[in-house]
Amino acid sequence: MLNAAAEPSFQHLEESLTCQCGCGLTVHSCNHLQCPSALPLREEIREQMKLGKDEEQILAHFADKYGEKILSAPTTTGFNLTAWVTPFVVVAAGMLFVSFTLLRWRRRTVDPATTTPGPAQTSSSARAEHEKTLDRELEDFDL
Amino acid sequence: MIEVGQQAILIGWLLAAYSIVMAITGGWLRRRDFVASAENGALAVWAAVTVASASMLYALVTRDFRIEYVAAYSSSTLPINYTITALWGGQKGSLLFWALILTTISAVVVLQNRHRHRELMPWVVAVLMTISLFFLSLVFFITPPFETLAVPAREGRDLNPLLQNYWMQIHPPSLYLGFVGMSVPFAFAIAALVTGKLDSTWIRTTRRWTLFAWFFLSLGNLFGALWAYEVLGWGGYWAWDPVENAAFMPWLTGTAFLHSVMIQEKKNMLKIWNMVLIITTFALTIFGTFLTRSGVISSVHSFTQSGLGPFFLWFLAFILVVSIGLLVLRLPMLRSENELDSLLSRESTFLFNNLILVGIAFAVFWGTMFPVISEAVRGVKITVGPPFFNKVNAPLGLMLLFLMGVGPVIAWRRASWAHLKKTFAFPVSSGLIAGAACFIGGIRNYWAIVSFSLVAFVLATITVEFYRGARARQAMVGDSFLRAITQLVAKNRRRYGGYIIHVGIVMIFVAITGTSVFRIEKQITLNQGETFEIGGYDVRYVGLEERDTLHIAYLMAVMEVFDGGNLVETLRPEKRFYKKPEQPTTEVAIRSTLGSDLYLVLGSYDAETRMATILAYLNPLIGFLYWGGLVLTLGTFVVIWPAPAAAPAAAYSPARGEAESRS
Repeated sequence: MLNAAAEPSFQHLEESLTCQCGCGLTVHSCNHLQCPSALPLREEIREQMKLGKDEEQILAHFADKYGEKILSAPTTTGFNLTAWVTPFVVVAAGMLFVSFTLLRWRRRTVDPATTTPGPAQTSSSARAEHEKTLDRELEDFDL
Repeated sequence: MIEVGQQAILIGWLLAAYSIVMAITGGWLRRRDFVASAENGALAVWAAVTVASASMLYALVTRDFRIEYVAAYSSSTLPINYTITALWGGQKGSLLFWALILTTISAVVVLQNRHRHRELMPWVVAVLMTISLFFLSLVFFITPPFETLAVPAREGRDLNPLLQNYWMQIHPPSLYLGFVGMSVPFAFAIAALVTGKLDSTWIRTTRRWTLFAWFFLSLGNLFGALWAYEVLGWGGYWAWDPVENAAFMPWLTGTAFLHSVMIQEKKNMLKIWNMVLIITTFALTIFGTFLTRSGVISSVHSFTQSGLGPFFLWFLAFILVVSIGLLVLRLPMLRSENELDSLLSRESTFLFNNLILVGIAFAVFWGTMFPVISEAVRGVKITVGPPFFNKVNAPLGLMLLFLMGVGPVIAWRRASWAHLKKTFAFPVSSGLIAGAACFIGGIRNYWAIVSFSLVAFVLATITVEFYRGARARQAMVGDSFLRAITQLVAKNRRRYGGYIIHVGIVMIFVAITGTSVFRIEKQITLNQGETFEIGGYDVRYVGLEERDTLHIAYLMAVMEVFDGGNLVETLRPEKRFYKKPEQPTTEVAIRSTLGSDLYLVLGSYDAETRMATILAYLNPLIGFLYWGGLVLTLGTFVVIWPAPAAAPAAAYSPARGEAESRS
C-alpha cells in the first residue's frame, strides 16, 4: 500500500486504474466478468509488466494512451499535487490555529487582570492553597 | 386519487408560503396570534403533504398506470413491499417523500415547542417552512409526481432491480431522516441568531433532535454500505463514490457538532464555532442532495439524476448568504470570554477532535470536488478514486481513534500528570500488548498494527471508565458490582451511553481495518464437482439450479462449503433475470461468521458444459460493521431515552454536569 517502488504488483496496478465501463470502480474491483473495459485493461497491464517496466512507467503508459482520467487517483506532480497536499495543509493549519487559540485562552485565564477578582482579603498563598484543594476535589469528583 | 394528490400538493405549497409570511410578521411585530396561525399553518402543511403521499402510495399499490411515476417505477408483478418502497425509488416520489418527512418533523417540533419557546418559535417555523416550501416547489412545479401519461400504460416498467433489495427498504428513509433531522437544530440556531437569544437554549432544546438526526444519518450510511455489499457484488461496501461521500460529510460535521455543543453547555464557550458547525452540517445535507441529483459529478448509484442541480445550488447559496449574514451581524454578541484552566483538559481534546472530524470532512469534500477543480484549472478531466481517499483519510481516521481514547478520560478544566499516569497506565499497556500480539501473530502491515493497538487502547479507556465509576458507586451506595454498573449508566445516561456509542464506532473501525488490509480474493472457473480452497474453507461446485417465477428467473450455482472436512453450509450465488426491465443482476451468497464472511459471486457459466466462474472473497472481521451498528444503536437509545421524573439524586447530578436533568 505504501511503497509504489520498483517491483510492479499486478493488483496494485489494477487498483491504480479506473474501469471505464461506467461501474465507477477500479479495474481491480470491477466484477463484470465480460467487462468490455476491465478485461482488456488487465491484459494490457500484463503485457506492460512483461516489458520489464516499473509501476511508474506502466501508469505513465496508460495515462498517455487513455488520458489522465484513467488513473484512479491524481498523480503527485504539478497541479495534482495540491489534491494530496491540501487536506493535510488544512489540518496542520487548523492544529496551529487551535493551539494558538488554546494558548491565548490559557494566558487570559492566568492573567490576573482578566480573571474574576477573588475575595480581597485572601492572601495569595492561601488562595493558591484553596485552588489546589479545589482542583484535587474536582479531580476526584470528575471520575 | 390523482386529483386529490395534486390538489393536496398545491394546498401544502400555499399553506407553507402563508406560514412563512405569518411567522415572520408575527415574530417581527410580536403578534402572538399571527405566530399561532403560522404554527397551525405548519401543522396543516403536514396534513396536506400526508394526503398527497398517501394518494401516491394508493396509486402505487392499486397499480394506477395512468400515472407516469407509477408506470415508470413499479409493475403488476412487483412484490408489495417493493411497491411501497417505490415511493422513493425515483426522483419525483423521493422528493415527495422528502417533503413528507420534513413536514412531519416540522409538525412535531411545533407541537413540542409552541408553548415552551415562544420567542424562538416564529423563526423556527419560518425556517422549517422555507425549507418545506423549497421542496414543495420542486414537487409542484418541476417534478410533479402525479403527472399522467397521454395513454395509460398497460404494464409498468418496474423498479430498478438493484433497488429491489432488503436494505433499500430502510436505507433511504434512514438517510432522509438524518438529512432532514438536521434542519431542526439549524432552524433553532437561526432563530437564536435572529432573536439574539444566544445562550445555550437552542442547543439544549435541540439536543435530542441532533442526536436523532445523527443516529439516522449513521444508520443510513451503514445500511447503504450493507446494500452496496450485498447488491453490487464486488466484495466491498464503500467505494468513496460521490453519493456515498455526500452522505458521509454531514455525518462528520454533525459528529463534531454533537461533541462541541457539550463545551458550550458546560463552559459557555465556542458559541461561534457551534453556529458554524450546524450551518455547515445543514448546508452539506443540501449540498449532498445537490451532488446526488444534479449529475455534476458522475456516480454509480445516483438513481434520481436530473436537471434539478441549479435549483439546489441556488437554494444552497440562499441558505449560506442568510446564515452567514446573520452570523456576522451577531458576532459581537457571540464572542464569549473563553477561559481555559489548563492546556491538558477535556476542552482541548474536544477542540482537536473537532479539528480532525472537520478535517476529514474537508478531505472528502476536496477529493469529491477535485475533478471539477482540475477541469476548471487545467482543462483536464481526472479521477479521484478510492486509493486517494483511503490514503488521505487513513492517518486522519487513526488520529480520531486515538483522540476517542484520550478525550473522554481527561478531566474537564484541568488534568494533572499524576492523574493521567493513573488513568492511562492500563489503556496504554493494553494498546502496546495488542500491537505486540498482532506482530507476533504475523501481521506485518503496520497500518493494521497501529489500528488494532488503538482499538485496544480505546476499549481499555472505556472499560476503565465503567469500572471506576461502578467502584465509586459501590463505595458510596454499597451496591453489587452489576447493579452499580446499571445504576451508573442509568444515572449518567448521556456520558455512558456516549461510551457505548464509542464502542460501536470502534467496532466499525475493526471492520474497516480487517476488510481493507486482510481481504482474500479468488477468481476461479470450475467444472461440476471441482473444489477450491479459500481462507481455510474448501468450496465445492455441485452444479447449477434453475427456478422461475412471474417476476424473476433465477439461475443458481450450488456451492457446498466445507470447514475442516465437514459440510457447514450450502451457498447459492445467483444470476437473476428480471422480466419487466429485462435486466440481469448478480445476487451474492454469503456465509457469515464472527471472524469473517465468505462471499461468493456467480460470475458466468456455460449452459452446455455447466462450467461456472466463481468470484470468491474472504472478508475478515466485516461482521463488526453490522454488530458495531447495533451497539451504536443501543448506545443512542441509552442517551436519548427520556429521563424519568426528577429523582431525589437530581440535586447532585447537575453539579456533575452529566445532566440527565437537562433534557
